[in-house]
Amino acid sequence: MAFYDRSSILTSMIIGRSIISVRSIIPRLLRRLKKIGSQGTVLFLVALGLFLQGCGLVFDAVELVHPLMRDELSAICARGQFRVGISVEPFRPFVFPAVYTDEGVRVTGLDVELIREVGDALTTYCGGQKPIVPTLHLTRFRDLFIEMNEGHLDLFVSSIGGNVPGARPVGLWYSIPYFHNGGIGAMIQKPEVAEKVRAEFQRQAGNPDTLAAIQAGISGLTVAAQKGRTSHLYAEANLKNIRLLICDSLPAAVETRNPGIDVIFSKHAILDYVTKHVWPDWHLLTRNDGTPLILTQEYFSIVTVDEHRRLQWFLNNLLYRLEESGRLEHMRRRWLEEDYAPTRRATIEGLPFEVSKVPEHYDQGQCRLATGR
Amino acid sequence: MSKKDLLMKSRGLLFIALSLVFFLVWPSIGWAQALREETEKTAQHLAILLNVGRLIIERNQALIDDPRKGDKGFTPEVFEQAVVDEFIRQTRIDLKDLPSHLPSLAKELLPVLLQSSKEVVADAQFVINQRGIGYKNFIPATFGSQAGRKFSNRSHVKIKQTTLNPRNLKNTPDAYEENVLRRLATQPASNIPITEWIDNETTLRALTPIYYSQDCLACHGSPRGILDISGYPREGAQEGDLAGAISVQIPVNRSR
Repeated sequence: MAFYDRSSILTSMIIGRSIISVRSIIPRLLRRLKKIGSQGTVLFLVALGLFLQGCGLVFDAVELVHPLMRDELSAICARGQFRVGISVEPFRPFVFPAVYTDEGVRVTGLDVELIREVGDALTTYCGGQKPIVPTLHLTRFRDLFIEMNEGHLDLFVSSIGGNVPGARPVGLWYSIPYFHNGGIGAMIQKPEVAEKVRAEFQRQAGNPDTLAAIQAGISGLTVAAQKGRTSHLYAEANLKNIRLLICDSLPAAVETRNPGIDVIFSKHAILDYVTKHVWPDWHLLTRNDGTPLILTQEYFSIVTVDEHRRLQWFLNNLLYRLEESGRLEHMRRRWLEEDYAPTRRATIEGLPFEVSKVPEHYDQGQCRLATGR
Repeated sequence: MSKKDLLMKSRGLLFIALSLVFFLVWPSIGWAQALREETEKTAQHLAILLNVGRLIIERNQALIDDPRKGDKGFTPEVFEQAVVDEFIRQTRIDLKDLPSHLPSLAKELLPVLLQSSKEVVADAQFVINQRGIGYKNFIPATFGSQAGRKFSNRSHVKIKQTTLNPRNLKNTPDAYEENVLRRLATQPASNIPITEWIDNETTLRALTPIYYSQDCLACHGSPRGILDISGYPREGAQEGDLAGAISVQIPVNRSR
């Protein structure tokens, strides 16, 4: 996938136009010069040399007039807002489904609180004269990458795993982690599925290769994962002897009855929350000692495009500062461990989003059997 | 001329003068009286309309919170029609064809409040139509807060929901409202608004009480202090208790 910076596109357009106009002018000039003779040729070359020097000056002038084109942070300061993408498929407690509050429609969650922190830091960076406001674009997970590619977003935050093989599309940059205790987990409904997996772990006790135990334990089961998410990538890469269902969202996986789903893979922190608060009929798949079964570790990052070096440093420095000060740890505890009502938090600290930017209405979609495995 | 004749004449002149003053002043007294009545009537209609909007949300609560449905079909137009029908039922006034006898202020403001209410439902469409999500907090209270705010921003009239222990601090009563609410809390239930002219008769304050229905008690009932679905502690209220009031504030320009 190729990603283009707006400034480079504009520059190439300017150069392109210049080339086109020069190409059309040169033959006519040559015809006239032939008439004038060799002296004219010399004069023409001198003039062309001067013209090319002038081109450099013109480009310098363009850069002076539009300095914002090459600096995304200055562009954000000038706009007074930064555009943040969020996946519309709910992934509690990082982003809760949008609710209606006394202040209007709001979203809340750990990722939303992080966006507020980014906004506060940008406000300070931009001089503090006016607040730098996040404008949230709720869009389908798969469209986040397209929106970013097309230059509609400055960054996106959607519990995106940055270290899972195949998770990073070309042209995107992933920050240092803001959530590093993550991992891909599993949830089940039927106790016999847990027994099957645990029996395999029991049988392979002492074998340091837990992947072998996982592969054998899950073998033959119907497993669901959200399309494009790291759990999907994990299942595709590591588990060959399963029926893999690709779902548009986690709620779609939970609702699917035919075929019956044995295991749902997703981010452990999300599964931990939803099994406690949303779908109590589902349970975390645990090891024999009762600890949650984590298939692989992953950390979550903020994503932006490769070219935005200044924004990348800004985000990394901010995340490091938040980690160092204990603020990130406080945020993680607040959303993952405390007992709270998301609606109330949405009323108090939620962020609005542009209703026109979201899909007509959120449809959780459905699940399909993965093909070509 | 005798003294008696003089007395008779002066009495006659006094009578003529008084009559003149009466005929000159009476129309303005009548006009002021009519203005008062029209303003009070308008406040009453506005409070009823906001309450009807709340009622329509309450009636459709199960639909709005149905996690199995995506598109609920509860569009701004559907909402508007339901409001219009219920308003006719309660007041015999057709909001789509306002009668000529209605005060001009009411004719001006009722469509603005209806439009504001409709826009709130339009803004909430994304939330309402989310599939797989049950409780969305689009309830009579949040609807009423937003509709009141939208309307108040568009007119010189202020309308808001208020209560003695508000969950939303923006609904905190002012001194006047608090005084009236305390009085209402001790009185038997009544739908009659409390109206009063303040600030040298230049501002109408009207408070229409709202009482808890059975449906409200899921969040506002017992056990008191235990968090409800939206995360607020339940008030421990009982059916028929005073929930709050719709407060309308209309400044009047008497020089008109």
